[in-house]
Amino acid sequence: MTPQIDRRPWIIISLLAVALLLCIPLSQIIFHINYNYTLTVVAVGGAALGILASVIGCFAVLRHESLLGDALSHAALPGVAIAFLIAGREIFPLLIGAAIASWLGTQFALAITRTTRIKQDTALGIVLTGWFAVGLALLSYIQSRPDASQAGLDKFIFGQAAAMVQRDVEVIAFAALISFVLLALFWKQLKLITFDREFAQANGVNVRGLDLLLSTLLVVTIVVGLQLAGVILMVGLLIAPAVAARQWVHKLGQMVFLSAVFGAFAGGSGAIISGLDVALPTGPLMIVMASIIVFLSLAFAPGRGLIWQKWQQWRTRSDIADNRAANLPRPQSES
Amino acid sequence: MYALEHMILQLLQIFFAQDAINGFLGHPQTVAIMVGSLIALAGAIPGTFLLLRGMSLTTDAISHTVLLGIVVAFIVLAALSGTTPDLSSPLLILGAAAAGVATVILTEALYRSGLVRQDAALGLAFPLLFAISIILVSRYISNVHLDTDSVMIGEIGVAWTDTTSHCFANCEEITITEDDRRAVMMRECTNCVSENLYPRDDRATFEEMCSNCGTYTPGEAWSKGYSPQKPELIFFPRSLTVMGLLTVLTIVFVLLFYKELKLATFDSGLAASLGLRPGALHYALMTIVSLVAVGAFNAVGSVLVVAFFIIPAAGAYLLTDRLSRMLIIAPIFGVLGATTGYELSRGNVLGLFQMSDLLKSLDGLLKLNGYTDWNVSISASMVIMLLVLFIVAWVCSPRYGLITLATRRWQQSRQFADVLILGHIANHEGTPEAPDELNPDTLHEHFHWSRRTMQWALARLRAVRLVQVENDQVILTERGRAHLLDFRQEMGIR
Repeated sequence: MTPQIDRRPWIIISLLAVALLLCIPLSQIIFHINYNYTLTVVAVGGAALGILASVIGCFAVLRHESLLGDALSHAALPGVAIAFLIAGREIFPLLIGAAIASWLGTQFALAITRTTRIKQDTALGIVLTGWFAVGLALLSYIQSRPDASQAGLDKFIFGQAAAMVQRDVEVIAFAALISFVLLALFWKQLKLITFDREFAQANGVNVRGLDLLLSTLLVVTIVVGLQLAGVILMVGLLIAPAVAARQWVHKLGQMVFLSAVFGAFAGGSGAIISGLDVALPTGPLMIVMASIIVFLSLAFAPGRGLIWQKWQQWRTRSDIADNRAANLPRPQSES
Repeated sequence: MYALEHMILQLLQIFFAQDAINGFLGHPQTVAIMVGSLIALAGAIPGTFLLLRGMSLTTDAISHTVLLGIVVAFIVLAALSGTTPDLSSPLLILGAAAAGVATVILTEALYRSGLVRQDAALGLAFPLLFAISIILVSRYISNVHLDTDSVMIGEIGVAWTDTTSHCFANCEEITITEDDRRAVMMRECTNCVSENLYPRDDRATFEEMCSNCGTYTPGEAWSKGYSPQKPELIFFPRSLTVMGLLTVLTIVFVLLFYKELKLATFDSGLAASLGLRPGALHYALMTIVSLVAVGAFNAVGSVLVVAFFIIPAAGAYLLTDRLSRMLIIAPIFGVLGATTGYELSRGNVLGLFQMSDLLKSLDGLLKLNGYTDWNVSISASMVIMLLVLFIVAWVCSPRYGLITLATRRWQQSRQFADVLILGHIANHEGTPEAPDELNPDTLHEHFHWSRRTMQWALARLRAVRLVQVENDQVILTERGRAHLLDFRQEMGIR
């Protein structure tokens, strides 16, 4: 007997995706947004980053590692600085340097939690600030040098989405492709270690290897997103769509897809809105859009949302009241 | 605050000459180290409680929201007063601290709703608030020193320049009016700008204006030459006062509520049932954390301030098990980091070697172009030293250090091996298969160990005379038998 597949969530998710896509022609009609080449590149890049970050973010949120992203994005800084010292302003060495530094950061935090009684959050805090300080010191050394070659390095760290070119979008798309293929290949095992580590371990799943895979994917995502959203805001882009999606659905597959839709909308719309005005920074707008989705989800999600909860409470209360009213005369008549 | 500074200075003047005090308070290094140490003190104490409550990263959220508070208060103040407000004004600090507490409340509301976990609630709250503050900064605030650099790094190195002046003699303010003979009178065209005229035009009207009228503080008056005598001024760095007050506040708070804090930290339920109101205490602690985060914001920036909360407490946590000792070790740890950190920023690594020498040797590899001066951000260096000290504590802690851990594991595995061998011998001694099982040359095969491991173990056991070799058989000595018996009794085996 094959299990009954509930198709409704999938239909709703695809309908939602189509509806959000329709926002593009709508925005052209209502706000007269001119989709020139630059804006298109930034919007596509933002959406792609949103998808990548939100999919990886689902696992981070479900594994209670939401703040790992925060620590990792700060920990990338010394890698960027050292890569700059070695190779100059080439994008790939900078990305690789960032990835190595944040990866070392995860391993350091892991080593602290494994060998001492310090908890994960504190270990992450140590890595976050310590690595960041090393990066800042190196950065201030680089900036104190008389040659002007370091110009714009800080943009790499604080994020500047408006400066995105097609090549950056290609990098994001490439990273997303690789990540999704890996996720699809190890889907069953990843699901298992996300929800029941002990069971996975007992069944001979290579838990450590998969942990490493997930944290590597997280590092890659963050590093790719750094120059777009900046160090701090990358965290929001990872977590917010996943948390929002969690409110609506109860299956990992549905959650990943819904969160990708939310992430794409947050990334794309943030980029487009910031295109309206020079003084509006792109990264923060993406976060604001994502947070709006989160608060709407927290309020309205069926079965979980706050409004649903209140209604449920009210209904239960009235049920009790009704029952009591119906039962009231009985004890008297029996006596 | 002014009165307090004045009082301290008067006290100091009893013991020191004015020039000495000015030299002390005007010395960049002294002020940077003092401010850094005060931040470390004020951070480490609440940080200890946060660590024990599993809330270390709340400081991260608070320090980011503090930026929002500062920005909002900045915009409101600027709109109300029409001028650029001072970044260390008390109103700004209070506004920012309120924002910090608001974040905590928001985060807790999020995860109390049961829809979001604690870590995700933090991860939702602070990027959003930070994003809002960046949007506000880039939209409403331009070209003030609220840029990303000061947000990230802070300016502890220039803390000594931001001062309030205290005057102790010749303190008359000089007011120059138009009648004064020191007044400089000028003719100025009143309608040139409005009617777009040249001053030579006939229609232009002129008015006598005083260009230097107004009230001058004693210092200004002396420097402009209006007052005959040099005022005796002492400049007091503002961040020193702010951080000093916050440190005192923190210490007093912890001393007053030590028992309550302790109980609320380790057994919140018991504290509540005893009527100690852990909730109120919790928010009081958060208020202090917010205040310290704001006060330190100018000096070390919003990210690095987190280190002053977390790292000293974590280091102390590895060194002791008692709360009271942690509360003493953590601040010392922090102050040590701040002091050595200043040296590091100037290139002196704990007196071991100079950074510039290291850079010279790296020159070829890293294309430094011969630029080997190491003169970097002070606040970042302080945090690096905190990290280094943490690693030292982690490796060398007598109870929880990596060295202790490795030694203990090694000892345990050795003891286990010993008992295993003794047990094996006891089982096979005097049985028909003994010549095969107890042959010292093939003994390792029965354990699936390497020959060398077994040789080492046997040598060890023979050295302490637990076993001996007789007729090509390993047998137990009396000591060995007693040892095994002890072990079995201890473990409750037969």
